Amino acid sequence: MSKKKLGLKILFFLVLTDFMETFTHLCFKKSALIENEVVLTSFSEVLIFLQSAFSSPFLWLGLLSVLGTFILWSSLLSKIDLSVAVPICSFSYILVPLASIIFLHEKVGLFRWSGVLFILLGVVFVSLSASERERALE
Amino acid sequence: MKSGLVFILFLIALTSLCDTINQLFLKSAINSLASPRGNVKSVLKFIVQLLKVPRVWVSFIFSAISLCIWLVVLSQADLSFAFSADSMHYIFIALAARFILKEKVCFKRWIGIVLIVVGIMMVSLS
Repeated sequence: MSKKKLGLKILFFLVLTDFMETFTHLCFKKSALIENEVVLTSFSEVLIFLQSAFSSPFLWLGLLSVLGTFILWSSLLSKIDLSVAVPICSFSYILVPLASIIFLHEKVGLFRWSGVLFILLGVVFVSLSASERERALE
Repeated sequence: MKSGLVFILFLIALTSLCDTINQLFLKSAINSLASPRGNVKSVLKFIVQLLKVPRVWVSFIFSAISLCIWLVVLSQADLSFAFSADSMHYIFIALAARFILKEKVCFKRWIGIVLIVVGIMMVSLS
């Protein structure tokens, strides 16, 4: 089965997985927020923390979103090559800091953005090398 | 603060490692079955068959551990930092491919890995 070139519809769904992934991590972060920045030092404290995190509806919303992302992602991969899909999906490396600024009021400085850019470039390079391998296999 | 940062990075490395193991087990379980045809019915049948493979459950256990550690990380660190640092799994997968599976890792991929390492360092230091 030959895989199609990237169409507009597939691009839309790929970007959708980016947004879903961002949503997942926002949910996880929300469920993990503790009121007064407690430093978890002992194992029993960690267990109590996990108990409270797992009773948060945000965590279950996040898990649901993981499942949805997984299903969407695997059906997309049957249509396009991984080396095309991964660079587009690494768009979430930009979306997540953006969402952290907007929804969590985190501060992201220029230096951190530059770091994000390096990671993004790195991910693109890693997936470029995958495309070479796919071509070699054909 | 600095020792805290090192500990958080260690925890993130641990989740990445669990994720890598989880992927390896999942992939090997999926490889042991014939891939399903396109329709929904055969995909569902495939999933049911997959759940009978013990390796899938090993993979689930590792993803549960990974989730728990990840929640601890998120309770202590900014999401914008933790998510970026989680890209460490690219490094682990490349190293596992090179040294455990003895795959050839090409030059472009090493460049990519170096870029990711630099990026993680910059994100952590900011």
